[in-house]
Amino acid sequence: MENSESEYRVEMTGISKSFGPVSVLEGVDLRVKHGEIHALLGENGAGKSTLVKILSGVHQKDGGKVLLNGKEINPKNTHDGQVLGISVVYQELSLVNDLSVAENIYLHKMGASKFWMNWKELIKDAQELIDSLGFDINAAARVRDLSIVQKQVVEIAKALSEDTKVLILDEPTTVFDPNDIKKLFENLFRLKKQGISIIYISHHLDEVFKIADTVTVLRDGVDTGSLPVSETDTDGVIRLMIGRDLKDLFPVRDIEIGKEPIFEVKNLTARDNLVHDVSFSVRPGEVLGIAGLGGSGRTETAKLIFGVGKKQSGTIILNGKEIKTKSPVDAVGFEIGFVSEDRKEEGVFLPLSIRRNISVTSFKSICTNLGFLKVDKEFKNVIGLIDKLNIKAPSCEVDVKNLSGGNQQKVALAKWLSIDSKVIIIDEPTRGVDVGAKVEIYNLINEVAKKGVGIVVISSDMPEIMGISDRILVMHQGTFYGELQKEQFSEENILRYSIGEPIK
Amino acid sequence: MALTIKQQLSSPGGILKFLIKYNTIFIFIVLVIFSALISDVFFTSANLTNLLKQVSGIGIISIGMLIVILTGGIDLSVGSLVALLAVIFALLVNTVILPVAILLTIIIGFSIGSVSGYLVAFQKMAPFIATLALMTIARGLGFIYSKGSPITFKSPGGEFMADFANNSTIGIPNIAIVFLIIVVLAMVMLRYNVFGRLIIALGSNEEASRLSGIKVNKYKFLVYAISGALAATAAIIVASRTNLGSPNMGMAWELDAIAAVVIGGASLNGGKGTAINTLIGVLILGLIGNILNLLNVPSYPQQVVKGGIIIFAVLLQKFESK
Repeated sequence: MENSESEYRVEMTGISKSFGPVSVLEGVDLRVKHGEIHALLGENGAGKSTLVKILSGVHQKDGGKVLLNGKEINPKNTHDGQVLGISVVYQELSLVNDLSVAENIYLHKMGASKFWMNWKELIKDAQELIDSLGFDINAAARVRDLSIVQKQVVEIAKALSEDTKVLILDEPTTVFDPNDIKKLFENLFRLKKQGISIIYISHHLDEVFKIADTVTVLRDGVDTGSLPVSETDTDGVIRLMIGRDLKDLFPVRDIEIGKEPIFEVKNLTARDNLVHDVSFSVRPGEVLGIAGLGGSGRTETAKLIFGVGKKQSGTIILNGKEIKTKSPVDAVGFEIGFVSEDRKEEGVFLPLSIRRNISVTSFKSICTNLGFLKVDKEFKNVIGLIDKLNIKAPSCEVDVKNLSGGNQQKVALAKWLSIDSKVIIIDEPTRGVDVGAKVEIYNLINEVAKKGVGIVVISSDMPEIMGISDRILVMHQGTFYGELQKEQFSEENILRYSIGEPIK
Repeated sequence: MALTIKQQLSSPGGILKFLIKYNTIFIFIVLVIFSALISDVFFTSANLTNLLKQVSGIGIISIGMLIVILTGGIDLSVGSLVALLAVIFALLVNTVILPVAILLTIIIGFSIGSVSGYLVAFQKMAPFIATLALMTIARGLGFIYSKGSPITFKSPGGEFMADFANNSTIGIPNIAIVFLIIVVLAMVMLRYNVFGRLIIALGSNEEASRLSGIKVNKYKFLVYAISGALAATAAIIVASRTNLGSPNMGMAWELDAIAAVVIGGASLNGGKGTAINTLIGVLILGLIGNILNLLNVPSYPQQVVKGGIIIFAVLLQKFESK
């Protein structure tokens, strides 16, 4: 089986794919050799996941060719992919919580071969597989009781339980600590020696340079280059990823910041204590960054201010007057806007048109007293915002689900610009957004700030938060641990505060 | 959207796509043609009048069901509500003057709907469960107040209503006119009023609605209350048609209403559906019953055919969303 003449294990050429009117991949090539670790890089929304999903059979390509060992394949679903020896470890865990580790690992085989399962053998096999990976997990344990790292390991074991020829790892290390990462890499090197081809998707460039033989970079659905790791460096890869140097991403901050704070929060504490004793202030025109690790209480703070969740104590002051935000209805009433980090679930209405999305906050200004819409006024308002934010769509009647991530995010923002919000809290402003739209969103934030709006940006993206903020507050375990002025901005300082250590 | 009908038809596979997109209307037209070909009686005014009268009651509660389904909920209580409110209306019409009887019945319907609305919106009860409970309670109350037997109209007001319900204006049965007015009102509200906009937004993404500052609970509450008021309107109509209110009325009507809404292309997940399509859904269900009656098909096979049509309509919609 291994003696095929083809040089490449996987050869994808001219792959294109669109979802509705949105083109995600345009003529992408990906060539992976036998027994190589091939890094697939690109920003969120560049099309990496879609590309590997086409390979594994989740999505069907619109155009192009996929060869496996020189033979054309057309997997129609993940089962086809698995039969061909293509296994995927996804970012979002796809385990069944209520089954045991062993059952999860062999889930795809259960019911296929025999009517009766030999449980003992199943657990024994699974245990051997996990032990061979060097992790300490009981194969009989219920998946629900595992830590997130252990779950990820089970995912990997599951992918290897097949006769795998091509292993795809989609950001496998996000939840791992350095020790686990080392173990994972050892495993990957071992698999590579066995001749398995590994496609490794990651955001961590340092990882890539440690393990990969070759990198392929995608940008906005086009492959911008494929080359041996030995022939490039971090800067080279970044340039391929974003099409310019990093510093050109961010607008120049030349805004005059007001003296008196427009918005203050004092000693805010949540009833569940996930947020405690949070105090900060924003001045008109200022962009305040909030950094911190996932789970440090950033999103919870924002939501608490916005009236989601119960407050224990604390005061919120807008324009010098104390306000009470018991619900989002109150917050919106005080002209506070909130853009959620979870765009699809909490930010936009996917099945509804752009017009219906944007108008949802601004009915007061486009309605008669009886609640009848002034349609022409609505259209004028919406079209004005579409132009201003450069939302790319054939018309304002297009459903938001058919837009790209960047344009969806602009719609989520437009909602708060259609009413004149005084304060806008933006949680992860550019998650899953392509570079072009990123720049536009940064410029937009800058412009809105210029009008005297107080802006709070929460972000995990270090270059981003340093690039757009005037000041950064770093959260650690539910409260602010430290504040960084512009001249103190560095990834190291942010990280130190995030893990509760003083800066040097 | 941007394409005109003509462009859609002339693109490759366009006719098929067009038919799938407007499948509700397509099924309706096919059924009408089929009915006309198969039976001489179908296109007589007597039959059509009868058909319209038959569907009006279910049609009105279907509109209530539509607005509940648009929010992602469901209202199983409407059939039983029709029975209870028909009994209440019959009792009222025999004791107080007609306008008061009508008004009280609708207020009571609104109030009972409010109970479902309160349980769903403020107590976070699953709509299926809350309205299932209300369904049993309403049916039980119907039997209690009527002591188990139909209550006949015995007042001038009752006679007036019976006259009204059985007569036509410019060839259209009066009760069908009531139904159509409600359809038009629903269309206007869903299209041009904030109320409609917000319940559709709510149904398509409740969390995003909440975070946009929409009073989610208020609107959830209101749709059940309105559904109750519409059930009262339907109850008044069906009671007047037969000159009595019976606790056995409206049996399984909630299921027909759900079927009509679904055949009309609404999504049970909420956020998708229109009043005009629900009207067509109601007419399709009515037509099936009507033509099978004309063909002398007994009622048991009729149910089988009805079920088949529901499956067919929903399968067509799956194609549309692909």
